[in-house]
Amino acid sequence: MTNSKKSAGISMKDYNCKNQCTWCDGCGNYGILTAIKRALIELGLAPHQVLICFDVGCHGNMSDTLVGYRFHGLHGRVISLSAGAALANPDVPVIAFGGDGACFSEGVGHLVHAIRSNYNMTFILHNNGNYGLTTGQASSLTPRGEKMDMAPLGTVEEPLNSMDFVFSLNPSFVARGFNGNISQLTNILKSAIYHQGFSYVDVLQACPTYNKFVSHEYLLEKCYECEPMNFETARKAAVDTSEKIATGVLYQDKTRPTFLDQLEARKGIDSRLVDEVKKVDVSALLAKFS
Amino acid sequence: MSRISIKIVGAQGQGVNSVGEMCAKGLKRAGYCVFGEREYMSVIMNGHSSYQLEISNEKVRSTQEKVDVLVTFNHHGIKKDLKDIKENGILIHQTPQWKFGEEDQKFIDVNSIKVIYLPTEDILKKLNAKPVLGNVLITSVVWSLIERSSDELKEMVRERFGHKKDLLALNYLCIDEGVKFSGSGSEKVCLPEPDEKWKSQLLITGSQAMGLGAIHAGCRALFGYPMTPASPLLTFLAEIQGESKMLVKQAEDEITAVQMMVGAMHAGTRAMTATSGGGYDLMTETISLCGISETPAVIVLAQRPGPGTGLPTWTAQGDLLMAVSAGHGEFPRAVMSVSDAEDSFSLMMDAFNFSEEFQIPVTVLTEKQIAESLFTTEISDQKSVVRRGRLVEGDGLKLLRATDRYDPDAPDGVSARWLPGSDAPTYCAQSYEHNADGSFDESAENAIAQAKKRMKKMEGLKRALPEPEYFGSENTDVLIVSWGSNKNAILDLIEDESVAYLHYTYLWPLKTERLVELAAKAKKTVLVEGNVQGQLGMLIKQECGLEFNERVLKFDGRATGLSNLNLSVL
Repeated sequence: MTNSKKSAGISMKDYNCKNQCTWCDGCGNYGILTAIKRALIELGLAPHQVLICFDVGCHGNMSDTLVGYRFHGLHGRVISLSAGAALANPDVPVIAFGGDGACFSEGVGHLVHAIRSNYNMTFILHNNGNYGLTTGQASSLTPRGEKMDMAPLGTVEEPLNSMDFVFSLNPSFVARGFNGNISQLTNILKSAIYHQGFSYVDVLQACPTYNKFVSHEYLLEKCYECEPMNFETARKAAVDTSEKIATGVLYQDKTRPTFLDQLEARKGIDSRLVDEVKKVDVSALLAKFS
Repeated sequence: MSRISIKIVGAQGQGVNSVGEMCAKGLKRAGYCVFGEREYMSVIMNGHSSYQLEISNEKVRSTQEKVDVLVTFNHHGIKKDLKDIKENGILIHQTPQWKFGEEDQKFIDVNSIKVIYLPTEDILKKLNAKPVLGNVLITSVVWSLIERSSDELKEMVRERFGHKKDLLALNYLCIDEGVKFSGSGSEKVCLPEPDEKWKSQLLITGSQAMGLGAIHAGCRALFGYPMTPASPLLTFLAEIQGESKMLVKQAEDEITAVQMMVGAMHAGTRAMTATSGGGYDLMTETISLCGISETPAVIVLAQRPGPGTGLPTWTAQGDLLMAVSAGHGEFPRAVMSVSDAEDSFSLMMDAFNFSEEFQIPVTVLTEKQIAESLFTTEISDQKSVVRRGRLVEGDGLKLLRATDRYDPDAPDGVSARWLPGSDAPTYCAQSYEHNADGSFDESAENAIAQAKKRMKKMEGLKRALPEPEYFGSENTDVLIVSWGSNKNAILDLIEDESVAYLHYTYLWPLKTERLVELAAKAKKTVLVEGNVQGQLGMLIKQECGLEFNERVLKFDGRATGLSNLNLSVL
């Protein structure tokens, strides 16, 4: 990410969009929208200097509610799409948004391998514990037994322990935020975007329409702010949410090289893939077949 | 045409390919046109595999059914392939004390086949050489049989093992033993006179040519997931990444591969992915995404027989209709097919150019038969240029409005495209139906305007694509129409017969003007395809109503060879 190109005088209005917001009253997405705009502004990034990618889900409608280069792609695939863009042009920070349905069911494989690969990008999970846009089905993060749209008698599957799962993949950056604490979330997002490598940001959010098990008030009461920890302590703090919920940048390894940094074939090359599109003389390579 | 066929058969892992490739390289250098075809089973060891070489001083691009020389590594090869030998042909086998069955012995006698037993094990034991050196010994025996100098062979092993002195010496000894062995017999195979012109040409597989074509076209990233017969392309580009400086990524699945490619294309580089039918199935939703978001994409679809896992290591042309219609909804796209190494190279520039000029997904079809066959060919594509269509960069960015991105009134439906990071108004590349700047718009008027805008691109694309290519003399009675690898056998045929051939490289959108004109003049039209339904024929009928008099359809996993083009049909 190039902070050298910091644009001066960027303000909220630069990111404001003429389109109407269509989220429900009390939706956690409003807080996340405010936080991402503030984070980008405080990082000095103008709308044309970022690429923001969206999965499909309620959160994805954010693609219509702010400006900036955006790609609103397919359900479950936002991480792979973003990774491709991030590799092609590391000068443009890539921020991917996805829900818990997209990220832990439809596209869970992409998350696994993106963490392993440590692509230099930020992934922000809108964690509302259900599928909102399709009217309240259970996600793999919905607690067992909840009565949901496609499980009116209650779900029977064990929920996935998302933080334990993420930590098992040896991530280089893990944070958790809450849409009710916008100033903390802004700082988390700034750190995540600034981090060199794959930044995983779990944002707990209320879904007053379909999530009857975790309310805004519940999160307000349970969440507490903490400082980055070592791997084991962070994992423990992230996983154990029985009494209270740890938020903040929980773990960061600043020494881990990114995928691109490790590619032997690209070492010592300053140009970006996006700058290299031109006809290439391959006579030397062809000569090997004479 | 005067041609000689040599077929090497054995268990996978025994060295069939290395003998085949070594012979091919030596013969090309000696002034012959060589075509090499590989057949093998979907296993790593012990499956039956073969490498057939066609050798001529004229252009040769396909194999014959019957061969002049059969070299077998094991007794299965003797039993399975003996009857592929021509009258007066030669069998070289390495199975000690082999007794032919009654029927086989009769076949040998009736056809005057010369049987040579090569005691490979004994010779290698004498030289204290490892079994792998048997490949050089066998090559040397074949080499002597076709009356070529062993110095040529020594030069080749020196290139390969020159840095390992002991190994090189042992290789030389094996060559000498092969010469000595052959010297004791009188059997010779008479090759036609060599022609200097082949020496300067390349000996290259379709996959290698396609990989170099992609690099030549400015492709800077490859995202793929292993699947035969796309794997040779993926592997080749991975092998040469040190030289090409291309980013090569093995993704966790085909969906990831195609999504990463689309992300990279959207960011503004040239990227590609390659897969076979099953992988392409998984990619189709993303192809549809490219349709609505108007993102350029290049996907190589290396065909093998389906459905399901099918015949993974064999060849087919069964995925044309899939490529033409893959993905939900209606959107513009291009489908083109390579036929040999030469166009495997040149078509990549076309694929990238059309994908960027029209902001569409482009599928490049190849086949196992093209991907893994060795062609003697010229590759020169210095005339080609990188065309990026309405990509706006530099000063032009200042004039842009966000609503230019998906402007429904753009000429030919092709609107301006500019890249993330450009200092210009921003837009949203939208998977949802959207209006001019990529904002949601569910109105009926907008849905019509955007659908029309996108589909309009097909008109400009169709105008831009070349007509099918015509081969053969004027005023011929028989007109053959085909696509893909069939071209090779058909061109080998029409050099001897008075037939004409119309070859489709650009399959969608389909141009039929030239076809209709030629079909009207011909007494008989013949469709040749490697699938059950005659898929190109179906598209042709759909587009212009033309029906063929005859259809030659092959769907046994084997390539169309000369013998399949039944002259009674023609």
